[in-house]
Amino acid sequence: MTEEARDIVCDTGPIIHLDELGCLDLLTDFQKIILSVSVVEEIEKHRPLALTAKLPFQVLRAQNPAEENLATMCRMFALDRGETDSLIIMESHPDAMFLTDDASARIVAERMGFRVHGTIGIIIRAIRRKRKSPAEVLSIIGSIPLKSTLFIKPALLTEISARIKKEFNV
Amino acid sequence: MKTVQTEVPEALYNKAMALVNEGWFHDEKDVFSEAIRRFLDTHQSELMQKNIREDIEWGLHGDD
Repeated sequence: MTEEARDIVCDTGPIIHLDELGCLDLLTDFQKIILSVSVVEEIEKHRPLALTAKLPFQVLRAQNPAEENLATMCRMFALDRGETDSLIIMESHPDAMFLTDDASARIVAERMGFRVHGTIGIIIRAIRRKRKSPAEVLSIIGSIPLKSTLFIKPALLTEISARIKKEFNV
Repeated sequence: MKTVQTEVPEALYNKAMALVNEGWFHDEKDVFSEAIRRFLDTHQSELMQKNIREDIEWGLHGDD
């Protein structure tokens, strides 16, 4: 592969959503999965078994943000503790990718110039990384309303499936 | 105006009331209305669709 494995800093949502969909193993594709203490606490509360997965987790305690700009934006966008701590950790890991399914956290991450993606991106990326076939990914996408707490409007799920089918002639 | 009845965690309610008691808001209804307005500002349908579409393209054709 031409791409080097990258570290990811992960918010609570993608860990829970990928685990609900039986896809948490897709994160083994990354070098390290960095979680803040607050994110670990949120996962322990809502989906504790996800933390027992054999993944290269690294738990870090977020310090104060280096940039006042980040602290201000986190407050303005009313980000929760896990999202804020993840973004603070991103400050000291600028080459990492931030994974979140929260629209507000994504806005702040983009404003800070961080690379940011969500659960859907990780699932579709599995085709490119040859971890899943297009048919398998279509099945996972189709199961989102039944198996996951990731809320995506039905028309958009249909659009995602149509895009995959068109791309791979399935 | 619509009337909505809902339950919120006590800690959240106490924080809202603290703002009211300090004089920043007239009452807790103003706090919750402002909080919802701000949430809706950052959770517009178009914005969430844009995020998903960016993820589709990255998933299919990204380089990492």
